[in-house]
Amino acid sequence: MNNKELIATMAGKMKAPKAVVAVLLETTVLTCTELLVEDKTIGFQSFGTFEVRKKEERLSVHPSTQIRTLIPPKLVVNFKQSNILKDKLKDMPHHE
Amino acid sequence: MNKEKISSQEIIDLVASKASVSKRAAEEFLKVMIATVEEGLLAGEVVKIKSFGTFKLQWNESRKSVNVQTGEEILIAGYYKVVFIPDSVLKDQVNEPFAHLEPVELDSVPQKNEIIEEAEESDPLRIFTEQATEIKNLLSEIQAISANSIPTTPVYHQPAETIHEVQPPETIQNVQPAETKQEAQPSEIKQKEKIIQDVQPAETIPEAQTSEIKQKDETKPEIVENDQTPEEKQQDENLKIIDDKKPNEPVILQEPLEKNIEKEVEIKPIPSDKNESQLISDLPVTPYLENVNRTKRSKVWIWIVLVLFLVSGLGTGIYLFYNPTNEFSTKYSLNKINENKSITEILNTVSGWFSPKPKPKPTPVAVKVVIPIDRNEYDSISQHQPVDSTQLLFDNPRVYNDFIASERIKAGSRLTIISKRYYGSKDFWVYIYEANKERISNPDHIAIGTLIRIPKLDPRLIDRSNPRCLEKAKQLHDIYVK
Repeated sequence: MNNKELIATMAGKMKAPKAVVAVLLETTVLTCTELLVEDKTIGFQSFGTFEVRKKEERLSVHPSTQIRTLIPPKLVVNFKQSNILKDKLKDMPHHE
Repeated sequence: MNKEKISSQEIIDLVASKASVSKRAAEEFLKVMIATVEEGLLAGEVVKIKSFGTFKLQWNESRKSVNVQTGEEILIAGYYKVVFIPDSVLKDQVNEPFAHLEPVELDSVPQKNEIIEEAEESDPLRIFTEQATEIKNLLSEIQAISANSIPTTPVYHQPAETIHEVQPPETIQNVQPAETKQEAQPSEIKQKEKIIQDVQPAETIPEAQTSEIKQKDETKPEIVENDQTPEEKQQDENLKIIDDKKPNEPVILQEPLEKNIEKEVEIKPIPSDKNESQLISDLPVTPYLENVNRTKRSKVWIWIVLVLFLVSGLGTGIYLFYNPTNEFSTKYSLNKINENKSITEILNTVSGWFSPKPKPKPTPVAVKVVIPIDRNEYDSISQHQPVDSTQLLFDNPRVYNDFIASERIKAGSRLTIISKRYYGSKDFWVYIYEANKERISNPDHIAIGTLIRIPKLDPRLIDRSNPRCLEKAKQLHDIYVK
């Protein structure tokens, strides 16, 4: 499901025009991004939490050339699913 | 981890105020959004939100584990897990504080050595002069030692040569019978001669012959003064030790060898003094003594030459494998860079014949920034090379009077990030710094609230695809960041 499909589905559920939904979605995303940049944790009830985690710098060794490279620290967004969502997923059968 | 947690309610409030919709509408929207994403995930789909990220399910296989309390083995069933992969937009924004950092290769040392080696090869004259000074120093050192240890003999040095040259037949005649008398000595002497001849093949034949004669002469005092032999023998042994060591020389370090020579030099005056007194009192054959001195002297000189040879060899070895001083190596690497540069210059000039000439840079006089271009990187080699317009652009002090924008420094702002935004590469931050030099005292610590201006730059100067532009920016970077 890509962004367009998501908007379409949501518009159908909300009985609102797609353009409005698109604007709202964009605003939400922007708000979330801003908050994350400010190093805040965002928790969505029954869905999960988004937080920024710092990955420390590390030394990596290229397996074949043995060149050691110092990887600088970085900040990444981490998502942790809530227990409610986890329980919902538990019932899902594994099909592959 | 003292992070402020934002709940859904706060998000709803923020979205409502931003999108200027009612809170109820925003709440409904958020609920629907989460529900839709959940639905999509439960349907086994991948849900993508533009410029935010992708949600998808990940199957975690069932695995065995142990109950920590009871020690029982338990099976954790396989389950699905929601994973979120942030979009590159979100990723970059979140990682902005560390965006200027780049992975650093740590094992670039061998490469550096290679460059130094090549650089040294490219400038052999320098090495030779370096070696020459070294040899000079050593020579003076050895001369000082010999001057200190043989204070009594120098009077004889000069006459010895002349006398020896005047009466060689006499000495030979005198030696011949003596040699036959003493049968033990000649073999030793011959050995010595052989070795000397082997080592010094470059010597001309007449010289070698005289040395032979000298060697033979040496036996004379020994024979005449029988009571003095132990000392002489000791000396001979000493010499022999050195002689024996000769074939192994390349392996021996210069230290022990020098010591040996010092020893030799120090030992010498004792027997020679005795020789002198005894010979003068007993016999009227002073030339022999002088010959002895001469032979020893010549031997010493042979050794000195040998040692110098060895030292110079060692010196080159050390130079090639270890860089003696940092300054030296950096100079060479700079030379190297310049050579590369000159090649590219030639190429550029050649290509310049076929392509329309870029218009010369306007020469305004508004803001003049004095740029510390280190002149020694453009040494005589590159100065003779034709300089193309880009090189001129690099060499000219840049003048900033057109500005495309201005930026206020916030917490977390960095010149590199600003540079990346305006010029496409963070390497060109140096030009922003140059244009704002009077406002920025230290490029690493800019006061928050400082208004900096972004200069309009010649596009040829900030061409990311041109390695020379990056090179130039790197050079400037090295100048400003010490």
